[in-house]
Amino acid sequence: MFDFLIDGFGVALTPLNLGLAFLGALLGTLFGALPGIGPINGIAILMPLAYTLGLPAESSLILLAAVYTGAEYGGRMSSILLNVPGDAGAVMTTLDGYPLAQKGLAGPALGLSAVSSFVGATIAIIGLTLFAPLLAKVAVMFGPAEFFALMIFAFSSMSVMMGKDPIKTAIGAVLGVLIGTVGIDSGSGVLRYTFGMPELYDGIDFVVMIIGLFAISEILLMLENSHSTDNDGELPPLGRVFVSLKEVLACKGAIIRSGLIGFIIGVLPGTGASVAGAVSYTTEKRLSDKDNTFGTGDMRGLAAPESANNAAAVGSFVPMLTLGIPGSGTTAVLLGALMLYNITPGPMMFTERPEVAGGLIASLYIGNIVLLMLNLPLAGVFAKVLTIPRWVLVPAIAILAFVGVYQLHSDLFAIYLMLVIGVFGYLLRKLGFSLAPVILGYVLGGLMEQNLRRALSISGGDVGILWQSGISLGLWVAAVLLLVLPWLVPKLLAARKPSAG
Amino acid sequence: MKIAADRVLGIALIGLAAFIAVQAVQLEIPFSYEPVGPKAFPVGLSILLTILSLVMIFRPGPNGQWPHKALALKLLLVLVLLLAYAVLFTQLGFIVSSLLVVTALARLFDATWGKALITGIIMSVIGYFLFTTALGISLPSGYWFDTFI
Repeated sequence: MFDFLIDGFGVALTPLNLGLAFLGALLGTLFGALPGIGPINGIAILMPLAYTLGLPAESSLILLAAVYTGAEYGGRMSSILLNVPGDAGAVMTTLDGYPLAQKGLAGPALGLSAVSSFVGATIAIIGLTLFAPLLAKVAVMFGPAEFFALMIFAFSSMSVMMGKDPIKTAIGAVLGVLIGTVGIDSGSGVLRYTFGMPELYDGIDFVVMIIGLFAISEILLMLENSHSTDNDGELPPLGRVFVSLKEVLACKGAIIRSGLIGFIIGVLPGTGASVAGAVSYTTEKRLSDKDNTFGTGDMRGLAAPESANNAAAVGSFVPMLTLGIPGSGTTAVLLGALMLYNITPGPMMFTERPEVAGGLIASLYIGNIVLLMLNLPLAGVFAKVLTIPRWVLVPAIAILAFVGVYQLHSDLFAIYLMLVIGVFGYLLRKLGFSLAPVILGYVLGGLMEQNLRRALSISGGDVGILWQSGISLGLWVAAVLLLVLPWLVPKLLAARKPSAG
Repeated sequence: MKIAADRVLGIALIGLAAFIAVQAVQLEIPFSYEPVGPKAFPVGLSILLTILSLVMIFRPGPNGQWPHKALALKLLLVLVLLLAYAVLFTQLGFIVSSLLVVTALARLFDATWGKALITGIIMSVIGYFLFTTALGISLPSGYWFDTFI
């Protein structure tokens, strides 16, 4: 049963892939620590480079996955030291992390977060190893109707879980799906929304889309924040550098529980590290905050979200590798990276491309250990990254974005399109949208339409096929419940209260 | 009803949805083997988008903070710079265009002239050799230079 893992270690332990896992872990930690870059931008910038370097698919994926998990480690730096979350997954880390830094315990806080991240990620990687092949076996039975229902479920869980405003999440996803419809329709050969521009016949290119949406919009957004968060290079003193074993053991319950919670939330399609961090923090607060110390620099309040967001990051690989449905915005980008190599992730990947699936999972084990070894002693060095001024960061992002898009297309249309998408992304962010649903919609939309049309071709147009099988019916019910319950449960509770009182 | 950014957005999105639906309906399909075809999906999406936009119009969120005048001007300048970078990228080549744009960008992000110029020189020259020699990426050397070299 674990043949794929043994083969995977064979792939991951080649010098090239080992080196790439190391490089990715290092770059990822840096990207995560750099204000405003985060995992998606890091991957968006590196993806075209990895592709043009001619790296094989599994090596490229190993590099990018290491960047992803590394960024989850790096994101805590600014949360703990500056009270500014590096990305959405690290929001909860600020609650107890920053008070700890103010008490002069920044060093131990960084150490504890590295250890919690490591344990959380390890729990999730073991979960991934056990769970993914099983899910892949089930997923082999999925037909187009089941996949369509699964995507409906993914979108509904995303609307409920992601972001503060479900309507905006849904609108963002629809806009993403619509952007995905541009180009030649694969079913009929008809041109859709190309407006006579031959450059658009192949659709809006993935790399152009994510670099525009994330990197360019980030440049525009940074202009605004440049006064409010620049800190003139002053960081709180780290204090002693290592966290003691006693401190870690005091948090072991929080770390293990949160790792499990994080993994489960990560597996759910459409929900990622930010939700996992929030759920684990509130759970831990309810369970173990006896003296009301959470929020004032309680180590358990730091360990819980750190363990959970790393576990969720790894957990989101489960639906991506087995079903081809990304569990988060970042895995949506990784999915796109695989598509550059003409690999469609899904249940068949474990049998047809075991070197990719197994190699990736094996490299996660390795990368995680590398990350712990890098992050414990080097926390102080990585923290220096926070003092890099924006006037260095912004031009560097601009150069990497331009070079990345130019080398893939060598034409100016792609660059103009990237800028247009960048302005679009900026406006969306200013209007309170999060970009993850847009990218998920863009990645999943095409698959969703194909599966819908394939299913209806099989049935000759009878829509009943969409919920005929047990699996698809179950997914539909789950999707509807997810949408209705958050709205219904508070009302039911409110109705019960007066009768109880 | 007070004017909120979300309401303006909602109306714009309904316009977009209508445009998408009209475009989809007007698609001419030479022949079709399948019952659905390329029209239904965009039309369905535009209906969904309209419904969601209507909800947002009736229940708009907080207005958010929009850039004040000075910032809006800077924002526009950054955009113009990026656009200029795109235009000059192939004309002047990577080194010269990056030097100009990086220096200007750094300056816009509050670097002094000296620091901005040093950043520009380092990033454009080292970047060029890093990308071309170390990573094997071909970058435009510029029409302007081609006549000299």
